[in-house]
Amino acid sequence: MMKRILIIDDEDDIREATQVCLEVTGDWEVLTASSGNEGLMKAEIERPDAILLDVMMPGMDGITTFQELQTNPATQHIPVILLTAKAQTAEQRELTQLNVVAVITKPYDPFSLSAQLNQAIT
Amino acid sequence: MNNDVPTDLATNAALSVDSLEMLLHRMIHRIRHSLELSEILTETVSEVRSFLGTDRVKVYRFHPDGSGEVVAESIHQRRLPSLLRQRFPSEDIPLQARELFLKARQRTIVDVTTQQIGLSPLDCPDISQTQKDADIRFRPVDPCHVDYLTAMGVRSSVVVPILHQNENQRDQLWGLLVSHHATPRHITAQELQVVQLVADQVSIAIAQSTLLDQTRRRAEQEATINRVSWLLHSMTEMQPQQALGLVVNALKGSGGRLYIAAGGNGQSEQIFTVGEQPGDRLIKDLTLKIGDSTLKVETHPQWQSWLNTQVAVTEVENVWAIADVATSGISPELAASFQTAKIRSLLVVSLQYRQHQLGYLSVFRSAIDIETLWARRVDREDPRQLRPRQSFAAWLEVKPAQSQEWAFADLELAQALGQHFAMAIHQSRLYYQVYALNADLEKDIQKRKQAEIRISALNAELEQRVLERTAELQRINTELLDEISKREQALQERQQARDSLDRLSRQNELILNSAGEGIYGLNLQGETTFVNPAAARLLGREVKELIARWMHPILNHSKPDGTPYQWEETPIYATLTTGAVQHITEELFWRQDGTSFPVEYVSTPIQAQGNIMGAVVVFKDVTERQLMERMKDEFVSVVSHELRTPLTSIRTALGMLAQGHLDAQPEKRQRMVEIAFSNTNRLVRLINDILDLERIKFGKTVMQKRSCTVTDLIQQSVDAMRAMAEKAEITLTVSAIAAQVWVDPDRIIQTLTNLLSNAIKFSPQGSTVAVVAETTPPYDQPLTDHETEMVRIAVKDQGKGIPPDKLEAIFERFEQLDASNAGHQGGTGLGLTICRSIIHQNGGHIWAESTVGEGSTFYITLPLYQIGSSP
Repeated sequence: MMKRILIIDDEDDIREATQVCLEVTGDWEVLTASSGNEGLMKAEIERPDAILLDVMMPGMDGITTFQELQTNPATQHIPVILLTAKAQTAEQRELTQLNVVAVITKPYDPFSLSAQLNQAIT
Repeated sequence: MNNDVPTDLATNAALSVDSLEMLLHRMIHRIRHSLELSEILTETVSEVRSFLGTDRVKVYRFHPDGSGEVVAESIHQRRLPSLLRQRFPSEDIPLQARELFLKARQRTIVDVTTQQIGLSPLDCPDISQTQKDADIRFRPVDPCHVDYLTAMGVRSSVVVPILHQNENQRDQLWGLLVSHHATPRHITAQELQVVQLVADQVSIAIAQSTLLDQTRRRAEQEATINRVSWLLHSMTEMQPQQALGLVVNALKGSGGRLYIAAGGNGQSEQIFTVGEQPGDRLIKDLTLKIGDSTLKVETHPQWQSWLNTQVAVTEVENVWAIADVATSGISPELAASFQTAKIRSLLVVSLQYRQHQLGYLSVFRSAIDIETLWARRVDREDPRQLRPRQSFAAWLEVKPAQSQEWAFADLELAQALGQHFAMAIHQSRLYYQVYALNADLEKDIQKRKQAEIRISALNAELEQRVLERTAELQRINTELLDEISKREQALQERQQARDSLDRLSRQNELILNSAGEGIYGLNLQGETTFVNPAAARLLGREVKELIARWMHPILNHSKPDGTPYQWEETPIYATLTTGAVQHITEELFWRQDGTSFPVEYVSTPIQAQGNIMGAVVVFKDVTERQLMERMKDEFVSVVSHELRTPLTSIRTALGMLAQGHLDAQPEKRQRMVEIAFSNTNRLVRLINDILDLERIKFGKTVMQKRSCTVTDLIQQSVDAMRAMAEKAEITLTVSAIAAQVWVDPDRIIQTLTNLLSNAIKFSPQGSTVAVVAETTPPYDQPLTDHETEMVRIAVKDQGKGIPPDKLEAIFERFEQLDASNAGHQGGTGLGLTICRSIIHQNGGHIWAESTVGEGSTFYITLPLYQIGSSP
């Protein structure tokens, strides 16, 4: 059964390429949002199986968006995988302390991304 | 004696003048050629008797008492008896007759037969003149006179007085020239004149003889005086005893005494005696009575009082001449004393020298028996000679125990001798004094010599000691000098060490003072031993407040999370207790104002000989560093993000293409290619900007400055952006000036292009972006001292504007006003940061001014190039 994933990222190219990647390499139905607010709205409406959330975004950043998702009963159960370009250990540690299922560092491996997501949400 | 004139000499009346002259000539010749009076007188009586042809011619000499003695006599054929050496009492020639002889030089011629006496005064006593024509006046002779001559067997007599001038030039009756003839003899006036001439010659002879006697006596006296003087003033020693003997002899004494009173200077009284002395009985009695064994007759009180009552010889001062002790009024005791010794006459000379009573010189004469050969026995029953002398039989009268009177010459001699004695005694006393003084002086000299010897010995000893002490002092001095030298060297070394230490201390202090890190020292109790200014400054305190204080509560030393440390928990305490060096970061110290700051510190133990003495804590405020680290981390994070973002797109797109998954979907494949290419460009731009920024910021890019025209710079920039503006439908306007600036034109064009790009990007469609250049301050305004004339270029847009709090932040790295638009605008977030670096490197400034909703203006200033002065 096809799983639905919401990609929230402000980078257009990353959303587009990641969508193509997940659709081609995995059995994913990809939803996208370019900002945190858009992502919250789509998450509540679409109730995806997972949310791939970019951390650094202008406006509402990924952390805030995640916290909003957690506070919303409609979305709080949705596993969130953080996607971050911050590769430093401290940053990684800070992120893993959040109640997220996984943290994936940019640039991710397009060939194993799908498997990582599946592993994370199972 | 009655004068008579022989009457039988008339035959000689016719005596020739020649024979008279011969007689006189012979007389005078003899007188002149003989000095001995007796010879003269003998010759005289002989010649006169021969001349007169009488029986006896004699020279009768008066004694002071009026009696007389026949001293020369010539008798013819024993016709008359000799009367030589026989004394005649004074009554024989009464005083009246003697005065007539003296005053009138009366000559008498008695003729017993005729009982006539011829008187022929030579002088007139009334007028005291010699009569020119002395005549002979006859008158009857006194019967007694006749009887007297008759008794003598004389019938004729001639008497001529012999006068003699004494020492006072007064005439005195010396004697008589008498011619007796047993038969009557007439004496003519001529004969009388001749006899008178002879008598005158005799007077001359007497005068000569007296003078001779006086001369002889004086010579003897002087000889005596000289001998006595020699004895008294002997160079060796006064010989009073011998001198006294001479005196006694000279004065024809039977004894003598020399009493020398006690003198000053301890000289005791002295007594010298010769010959007869006053009886000792009296002295002994007095001694017993008074109890003074030294009592002498001269010190006898009665002697003194008696002498005082006696009238001293007026002519001879200080001389008492006592002819007869028995009749002198002396006290019976003293008289007895003298009489015991048969002393009858006394000559006392008071020895005085300048009114100092020095003693007495006394000469005694014993009583003697005086024999007088009288021409006849004195008729004691007829003392007044009232009866004529009937017999002239010689009669030797003996008077026992008679005193011997002192002659005037004796007194003179005694006085002269007394003066010598007085002088000698005085000199002796002086000599004694001098001797005593000399003795004292000698004693003093001896004492001084002894003292000198002792002093010499002491000096020698002292000198030896001084030498020893000097040697010792020299040795000590040498040692001291060595010691001083060593000490000076040590002091010098110490001073050098101190100087070095001071220098080091100063250096240390300078180091400590100039050190940026706070440094303080602690003792084992955690109290500060030193604090440098930086430490005080970092803690917001004064150094003096921190000295000798327990540092822990002042620091309020806290853990990184702000929890205060207990003292024993602190790493510094661990250093003090274990000696471990602690290097700690990110703990907190607190300032006085209650604020804290993160510190990094190193606490190092201070050790001496293996013992921990304290600790040194070096700390620094790492707030800035932490900030920088955070900024660095953020930068790295942003860079990482900015790099990873396009890389993510590229990797994914290429991965899809590489797997061939999109071979069947050419549109998607094309899209992936575009994404990959686009993000690759983005990545390149980003890398270029980052590298560019770093190069400019750290001066690795050298600005190629030269003189450029502002107009050209603006125009080239505008030209470069014109296509983009046109695409965005933005109008570009330029207001340039022809000023010259000294810049790197490529970099200034890069900056202006960036600013224009941003302005175009953020300007609404149809708006205008203006570029305006001007000098600042304007030319007509004077520059201040530190101002350089600049050119200001403004790039003005009409966009949304920039909030005031972002006006500065936009020049920081990766700070974009609106991140949501970043991707859309294609910026790297480093543009303005690079612009600011470029403008700073070209000597200008860049800033932004904006009003939200109206637009923003970015200004740059560039230094104006002035010809002739190198910028």
